[in-house]
Amino acid sequence: MENNKSRIILVMSSVFETEHESINEESSVDNVENWDSIRHLNLILALEEEFRITIPDEEVGNLVNFKLIEIIVNEQLK
Amino acid sequence: MDSLKYTEILQKNKQLSTAAFDKILSVKILSNVTVNAFKEIFEYSLRLKKISPQIEIGNFDNLVQDSHHVKDENIIFIFYDMLNIADSVSDYFELLDHQMVSELEAKIKNEIHLILENLKDTPSVIFNSFSTSAFNTSFTRVSQLEKFVRDLNEFLYSLNYKNLVIVNIDKIVFELGRDQAYDFRFYLSSKAPYSLHFFKSYIKAIEPTIKKITGAVKKAIIFDCDNTLWKGVLGEDGFDNIQMTSTSSYGKPFNEVQHIARYLSRNGILVGLCSKNNAQDVDHVFANHKDIVLTNQDIVIKEVNWNDKVSNLLAISKKLNIGIDSIVFVDDSDYEINLVKEALPDVETLQVPKNLYQYKNNLLAFIYKNFNFSITEEDLQKTEQYKTQVYRDMEKNKFESLEKYIAALKIRLDFYKDSREQIVRISQLTQKTNQFNLTTVRYSETEIQKFIEDENCTIYTGSISDKYGDSGITILSIVCKDSFGQTARIDTLLMSCRIIGRNIEIVFLNSILNSLKESGIKSVTSSFISTTKNAQVSDFYEKLGFELTETSSGIKRYELNLHNYKSSDINYIEINYL
Repeated sequence: MENNKSRIILVMSSVFETEHESINEESSVDNVENWDSIRHLNLILALEEEFRITIPDEEVGNLVNFKLIEIIVNEQLK
Repeated sequence: MDSLKYTEILQKNKQLSTAAFDKILSVKILSNVTVNAFKEIFEYSLRLKKISPQIEIGNFDNLVQDSHHVKDENIIFIFYDMLNIADSVSDYFELLDHQMVSELEAKIKNEIHLILENLKDTPSVIFNSFSTSAFNTSFTRVSQLEKFVRDLNEFLYSLNYKNLVIVNIDKIVFELGRDQAYDFRFYLSSKAPYSLHFFKSYIKAIEPTIKKITGAVKKAIIFDCDNTLWKGVLGEDGFDNIQMTSTSSYGKPFNEVQHIARYLSRNGILVGLCSKNNAQDVDHVFANHKDIVLTNQDIVIKEVNWNDKVSNLLAISKKLNIGIDSIVFVDDSDYEINLVKEALPDVETLQVPKNLYQYKNNLLAFIYKNFNFSITEEDLQKTEQYKTQVYRDMEKNKFESLEKYIAALKIRLDFYKDSREQIVRISQLTQKTNQFNLTTVRYSETEIQKFIEDENCTIYTGSISDKYGDSGITILSIVCKDSFGQTARIDTLLMSCRIIGRNIEIVFLNSILNSLKESGIKSVTSSFISTTKNAQVSDFYEKLGFELTETSSGIKRYELNLHNYKSSDINYIEINYL
């Protein structure tokens, strides 16, 4: 699980072009500067590839902060 | 690239983004669908080639307007996607009446025309074909949409723009499968139809084009012999038992490969041999074997001996006067392939697959990845020319002095000014020439045309022939005068490596300088820009009496007062002014 956390941080920091340290459990659409609609799309693609999962269509719009991402990724990994 | 995840590409791209490479490629992507993920993947592929990318994505679905505002980009991509065209009409496409469809078709053709006219000064325009791959269509009935796409493609392929490259995206979708190539989840919300797989494959599809634009083209393919051009080991199985006939299942794959090699040699690619064998045995096969397809006429160079292949490939690079990174190598042995990969990482290699039925297709994929096929007359003669070069070198030993040797060649220089027929060749020379190239500035065909149209600039070219053969247009200089007609600047001076070492450059430049002097020019400036490949000409201008005026970061600037210029006294090269 801890490993998943760091992989999510890695994906988010890569997609949003920011430092690892600046992504944490509090990161969300509201406080990550580069988190726009286009990068949101790239985030989904990158998460799916990283974890070899498919994020269901209805969840795509819900992945708006770190904690929700973590929950949805873990759900799909089950 | 293929094996890397998107996240990994993003990270590696970021790590490399701090490196400032000498080569810069400025790119704009015009699109009527969202293709943002392509940007970083393409950036990374360029940085791997030591090219700094400057990539900008145009406004969404604004192709015509954006094409109007393009300035000095090197490449423009056009993603004009049928998906969004079909969305732009108010009805289901199959229900549109004929009148409506033909109006839409006329509108799009007109837009394509406008876009390409606006971009006609851009060095390269990469335009994707229109595709029905994203649509479900009947297996038997041709739909209105399919006919529409067919008409648009027919129009696109009929256009005659020198800078236009059309990528057939159906082939990419075919290789990946539709479900892999498209990801429609984000099409509704963001108009983003393409998957990451698609973009990774797209990069591969445009690879030879990018190599051509950046001047990194391959020139030669070198084959091993045993179990590469024929089945069996000549030295062990013997002349009568090696197989290469299309009538045996063992021989057939090798027969096909020989046919492909012959096709390459006839399309301007140099074909050579590098094999551990007795030279006379191999010669005997190529001269006398009843099943041989590839003949001595097709082969430029043979390094057949018992030396290691790394030394032999280096010898080939030296003898043909091309960079080692211009060579690709095909061999069946793990050992040889790994040795070459290890010692010569710049040489692309192909190992003959263990399953021989895959050999032909693997070879073709390898060839289309590495070589760019844009054929000029000169390319077709090249094999002949390189071969006569090898004979010339043999003759070199017979003469006691180089001057006498050169004189005996009876070289003739046909001297041209601003020849429009040569635009393709001139551009190609600027793209391909690395060693004897004083400034290594690459020019597109459109840029060359501009020089020709500019009254103050002149493009001088030389076609070289001697008693052994014709080398074609192989020397080139671009000179621009100031508007007062007082001074001139040598923008470009380059010469194909095929004609190096015969003092042709001295005679050629001498003709230019004399002509400038006659037209009232007082002084000429020039420069040498250092690259990893052009060290042999670093003191070219000093030798000709130019005065070094400035040296800074790999660039040397020179000036020559024409009043003091002493004309060359070489009299053994005949010049024919045309």
